[in-house]
Amino acid sequence: MKYILPKNDLNALLTAWSAEYAVIAPQKTGAYAEFLPFTPQSELRLQEPHNTRYPVKALFFPQSEAILKYNRNVGQLENLEPEPQKRVIFGIRPCDAKAVTLLDTVFAEGDNQDPFWLARRAETLLIGLGCHEPCATCFCTSAESGPFHRDGLDALLTDLGEVYLVAALSERAELLFSGLTPADAAQQESALLLQAAAEKSLPKVFELDGLKEKLDRVFDKEIWAELAQSCLGCGICTFLCPTCFCFDLVDEAQRDTRVRNWDTCMYRVYSLEASAHNPRPTRKERTRQRLMHKYSYWWEHVGKLGCTGCGRCVRYCPVGLDIRAMIRKAGAYESEVLHAN
Amino acid sequence: MPTNFSAPNPYQPIPMRVLRAYYESNDRTLKTLELSFENQVDRVAFFKKFNPGQFCQLSLFGKGESPLGVASAAWEGDFVRFTIQRMGSVTKALHGLKPGDPLGMRGPLGNGFPLADWKGKNLVIIGGGCAFSTLYALTKHVQHPQNRPEFGQLTVIYGARSSGLCMYKHDIQSWYQRDDMEIHQAIDVPEESWDHHVGYVPDVVKQIAPSPDNAVAIVCGPPIMTKFTLPALVSLGFPPEAIFTSLEKRMKCGLGKCGRCNIGSKYICKDGPVFSLAELNALPADI
Repeated sequence: MKYILPKNDLNALLTAWSAEYAVIAPQKTGAYAEFLPFTPQSELRLQEPHNTRYPVKALFFPQSEAILKYNRNVGQLENLEPEPQKRVIFGIRPCDAKAVTLLDTVFAEGDNQDPFWLARRAETLLIGLGCHEPCATCFCTSAESGPFHRDGLDALLTDLGEVYLVAALSERAELLFSGLTPADAAQQESALLLQAAAEKSLPKVFELDGLKEKLDRVFDKEIWAELAQSCLGCGICTFLCPTCFCFDLVDEAQRDTRVRNWDTCMYRVYSLEASAHNPRPTRKERTRQRLMHKYSYWWEHVGKLGCTGCGRCVRYCPVGLDIRAMIRKAGAYESEVLHAN
Repeated sequence: MPTNFSAPNPYQPIPMRVLRAYYESNDRTLKTLELSFENQVDRVAFFKKFNPGQFCQLSLFGKGESPLGVASAAWEGDFVRFTIQRMGSVTKALHGLKPGDPLGMRGPLGNGFPLADWKGKNLVIIGGGCAFSTLYALTKHVQHPQNRPEFGQLTVIYGARSSGLCMYKHDIQSWYQRDDMEIHQAIDVPEESWDHHVGYVPDVVKQIAPSPDNAVAIVCGPPIMTKFTLPALVSLGFPPEAIFTSLEKRMKCGLGKCGRCNIGSKYICKDGPVFSLAELNALPADI
């Protein structure tokens, strides 16, 4: 069902939802927009063409989280699993919603499901805001997503100027929007045109067809050293990535808790073994791991690309490394360099 | 959308207690801990899943966790044995444990040896250094009168740098008296009163030349030993599908979630640690 939500009514609607749900929406903090709890006084940041800096995965998988509390002397444990809470994440971009579904395949499927992820995911609705003005770092249409894709979303909003056109995509979302006026045919038509134009405005930055095989074949080649040459190894690309999920488990002895922290394959100690052997001793191997994981290993794991083209790693890399160019170069290495020799 | 949020917490260790603790090596870098279960329900759940070749995360609160291969067979008793090399802060603290001390354990983790596929086969077990611990569990499993008829000939080749570093000495000494197996021990350099093999494991393997007929070879050891033993077995005629090894990597969760132990698309903790050489050959060289 499609509805019309006048922008002037948005605050009242989110306020009404707040009676039942914890509503979380992008708001300005410092220089950046971030997903924060909504209050009627909140100033929402929905007009920015790009994403929040901090990835939405943090709302399900916090950067640092105590998972166990222990009593060392008697060996007693306290489980710190969260209770499911009814939440609405409003204004999530389609690339980020898709990323949440990708992380479901890590934390919520198969054996040993992650109770922390499951509890936060169970009663959270994702209300998406499509991107009618994708920005220069976006490449979702090249990465199995798109500015108006619906994967993972309970509803998708299209900005029609004074109003949003709301497509409710789940029963739970239908309940949230059922009080609104249904959209008429002309409004639905203009939303479709806008969506098509946005989709078209994004150039194809690489061809996925056959890319995995090309990357696999150059695994042991020098191209990775070339690509990693200017990398500082700061790890920001992985921390801000909405699909990166690596974590570390550490004991905080002073607080008697076992804590799970985001970790990154871009650090040397990440794979350093007790014997001092390191399977990824330099930035060459670590850069290769990051790119191959997203563009090759994810395919083998779940048949999907491990990147949604959100562009955060491009936008925030301190030395301007661009994953689009890196993937293009690695993909072309075989035909350009190896065959030329 | 996932709806099952009552899944048990896979990061929560079960309570264990040290039953016995003793040094394995004369340099005191290797110590064996035998752990008993605090709760019967945990014991039953553990042995229902356990298979030689699997590992556990031993957990010391305030220190952290360390992944260690299980060095005992299920029939040996209601305990789990680990032989621990002192390397970092967790293994150092594990070395400090005494009988009666509590600790946590998560596991069994990983796939273990594919015993069902090995039924009726001759087993050639080749180990070096403290990596022999999971092969010791395998040998103990096979030796049990109920399990022994399921396999053909059993040959064990075990090398260590010196006689002082040889683990499970008294038990292995008794294997020379068994008529259902062959045992070959080797040390790197000659020592007085050592009347077994002298030399590196790959050379000893070539010298003994086990037959590849209807056989599988299982190799666990330091990377340098494995590197040279695998081609030695190939040249003896073992096909890559009949050669198995167990890998190690830095691990945290042990469940295929924390990311760091991957080789290509495989996680050592979940898809391994046991792989055939054929499987390894299909993976990128990220070891």
